[in-house]
Amino acid sequence: MNHRPFEDWLLNNQPLTPTEKLDLDAHVRACPHCAALAESGIELRSVRMVPPAPGFTVRFQQRLAAQRIAERRRRLWGLVVLLVGGGALLLWLTAPFLLALISSPAQWITLVIGYLLFILTSMQTLGEIMLVFLRVVPGFIPPFVWMVIVSALAGLGLLWTVSIWRFGRFQRGV
Amino acid sequence: MNEESAWVSQAQQGSDEAFTRLVETYQTPVYNLCYRMLGEPDLAEDAAQETFLRAFQHIRRYDEKRPFATWLLSIAAHYCIDRLRKRKFAMFSIDEEDDDGNTYELPDPSSPDPEAESMKGETRDRVQAMLKDLDETDRAAIIMRYWYDYSEAEIADSLRLTVSAVKSRLHRARKELAGLWQEEKPRSKPERRPHESPAF
Repeated sequence: MNHRPFEDWLLNNQPLTPTEKLDLDAHVRACPHCAALAESGIELRSVRMVPPAPGFTVRFQQRLAAQRIAERRRRLWGLVVLLVGGGALLLWLTAPFLLALISSPAQWITLVIGYLLFILTSMQTLGEIMLVFLRVVPGFIPPFVWMVIVSALAGLGLLWTVSIWRFGRFQRGV
Repeated sequence: MNEESAWVSQAQQGSDEAFTRLVETYQTPVYNLCYRMLGEPDLAEDAAQETFLRAFQHIRRYDEKRPFATWLLSIAAHYCIDRLRKRKFAMFSIDEEDDDGNTYELPDPSSPDPEAESMKGETRDRVQAMLKDLDETDRAAIIMRYWYDYSEAEIADSLRLTVSAVKSRLHRARKELAGLWQEEKPRSKPERRPHESPAF
């Protein structure tokens, strides 16, 4: 039996003209497939909402409180494991150096002082180079080039700020 | 700003009281969806509670452009679909526990008349029995369409499907339900008792 267009009318629940209604009624009486479609549709439209057992909100509050406690406990344990694990790893990695440091302190003190002196002299030299550079270079660069450089730097700064703001925003929707 | 928007906004700022108001307002729609999806009151209660917990945890991510009910029911539907999919794997063992420790109970064979009890339940909610035979996502679409009067676009938004996919799922599910309705019809007719009039 041809179910078209009756099946579509029943499935789409579209408004029908009086003639179409009569045609549909006649078809439904003769066709068990479309009759089942119509009857199940009526049944579906007459369904009701089932409420939960009384005290649902109270049970939710209890569950939320229990979950918060569990979450806090989990975080605390996580922190403990992280600290202990991190400490153990650090100790394991630095153990050979620590042993060397403890056994000969004079050697590492000399090493640290030498290193600090190297940093200080390097910074001093760099400062002097920069001063010479700043004294010589401005004479060679025309003012409009300076304006271009400053504008470009300002633009980059703005782009950076906007990017941080855009990516830093919380993702919406679940 | 209406009352619901105010509660949502307060809940987003961390107000437990405002969220409790939302739970009170939406407990029945959420529970009903879970019950229609899972078919058992205990599982439905657990799923509804879990839905509200998830909503509470992610309330800051809620987009105010969407209706709150749609967002909430979407969480419930996805949770139930996942749960039903997990349950499929546990169906081989009757006493097996699911991931939350719930067991699946069958009617007690030692009860006075298990068949009669079972039949009573079947006739009490025939649609519920037929829903169980549908695919999880089709079931969610049917529930949203007929219990909540959701449009195809709203269902698509809730179930993360396209509108054409929702349409085809609804059509397929309706045809499947009609087939089940046809199969169930002769069985659900009450048997005539001796000396009873054939008219009843």
